[in-house]
Amino acid sequence: MNIIAIFISPLIALITGMFFLGISRKIMARLQWRYGPPVIQPVIDVIRSFSQMSISHGSLFDFGIILSLTGSFVLTLFLPIGELCPLTSGGLLVILYLMLLGPFGLALSGAAAANPNSSIGISRKFLLSLAYEVPLLLVLLAVMTRYNTISLVEIVKIQASTGWAFGSWTLVLSGIAYFLILPAILGVRPFEVIKASQEISSGPIAEFGGKHLAFSTLQHALHMFVGLALFVDIFLGGWTLFGLLDFLSGTVWVVVLGIVIFLLKMLVVLVIGIFINAVYPRYRIEQAMNYLLKWPTLISFIGLIIVVLVK
Amino acid sequence: MLEGKIMDRNQIGKWLKNPSKMANKYSFHVVYFCTGCGIIEIPPTITTRWDAERFGIIPVATPRQANLFLITGYVSTKTLKPIIRTYEQMPEPKYTVAFGSCPINGGMYYDSYNTIKSLDKYIPVDGYIAGCMPRPEAIFIGITHLWKLIDMDKADGYKRYREDYEFYRENQEQLFGELDWPPLFQNKES
Repeated sequence: MNIIAIFISPLIALITGMFFLGISRKIMARLQWRYGPPVIQPVIDVIRSFSQMSISHGSLFDFGIILSLTGSFVLTLFLPIGELCPLTSGGLLVILYLMLLGPFGLALSGAAAANPNSSIGISRKFLLSLAYEVPLLLVLLAVMTRYNTISLVEIVKIQASTGWAFGSWTLVLSGIAYFLILPAILGVRPFEVIKASQEISSGPIAEFGGKHLAFSTLQHALHMFVGLALFVDIFLGGWTLFGLLDFLSGTVWVVVLGIVIFLLKMLVVLVIGIFINAVYPRYRIEQAMNYLLKWPTLISFIGLIIVVLVK
Repeated sequence: MLEGKIMDRNQIGKWLKNPSKMANKYSFHVVYFCTGCGIIEIPPTITTRWDAERFGIIPVATPRQANLFLITGYVSTKTLKPIIRTYEQMPEPKYTVAFGSCPINGGMYYDSYNTIKSLDKYIPVDGYIAGCMPRPEAIFIGITHLWKLIDMDKADGYKRYREDYEFYRENQEQLFGELDWPPLFQNKES
């Protein structure tokens, strides 16, 4: 069972991530009164990129993007997708470490490309992640203190019996803080400073063509999946749905339906994120840092204090 | 040339037969080279009114990610250099479409001393959209013609550039004197 899960869960993550990329382009188009591309358009783009010749700028350039993609694949193994979770040891701490591999790999290959636009993009990427990691750490600390565990599977299980973390008054502030930094984690507007294509020619991926571009698109899809899945797992109760699936417990149906419910929850969060993406313009990098280090940090800090006081 | 159903994006059989050709047809990532007045027709084409994204045509920021090169308007001698360099940076397979009557034969700049009369002498062009200026509908008709050409393997500008590189390089050197970049391809015979 565990071996099957190791193959299945990255596959689910990849397919869902590509589908999310497609549906976000479609919804953006409908919001702008356009017809929009088909939902499978990112898949077509990836096939085209794979069929194109790619230009390499040295072994570090190739290695960096592979490292980034591999890091994202490994990260999906540690996330409970429904009841499917192949690797449970380490929990949130491992996820925090592995979340750095994606940006790090992209930075390596962007630096090897020696394009000034990539360098600006990388510096922006690290500044932005420096800014959102502070509230993210505070949020995760609050959650770990509240539930007294670092295991994501345990957190989901506790929420199945006591209700969603987002609905409990002790963790609602942390949930709001995570939702405020979610666009920065996903890299969408108003925090689209990294791939600002009108400004710095799509940033770290400016020199990527052919297979490198395809890999970076796949990595982006996986990264999107991870950011959303973490939010759903920690705050929206993972696969649970108000105890509606209790009569099925123990059968294989609860696994399948759990995955479906989990993905639907992610879709809802994504659509809200796309609405935010559609109406907001882009921050400058210092405005983004100002905002991230002010409001989400403050809210998550108050949330942490409440959790500590209640305990 | 345009009878019958042109759009075959939903035919799974064709996808299984030749995925790379179909993907190249329905995912044009375009570098717009904004020379002259033609660029004014591009914003309505890619935004709400005509919405080129429904055919998978989106603008990209760098030539590395692109496979379609759209040259919109007259080409002066000075802008030809960046055009050549941009074209050489794009990964193969790549397609070039020249837009408006100026790149075809000089158009209204036919007697200008610093305008290129025929772009096809310097980089291979897969198709022209004639007119002064062509409307956005003409761009879509041009794209459908390009689909047909890709289907028949006739959009082979990048292959011609590889094979006849000496001819193109000679023309470029005739215009500029010494070029300050090395040749892209080394011919096997020499």
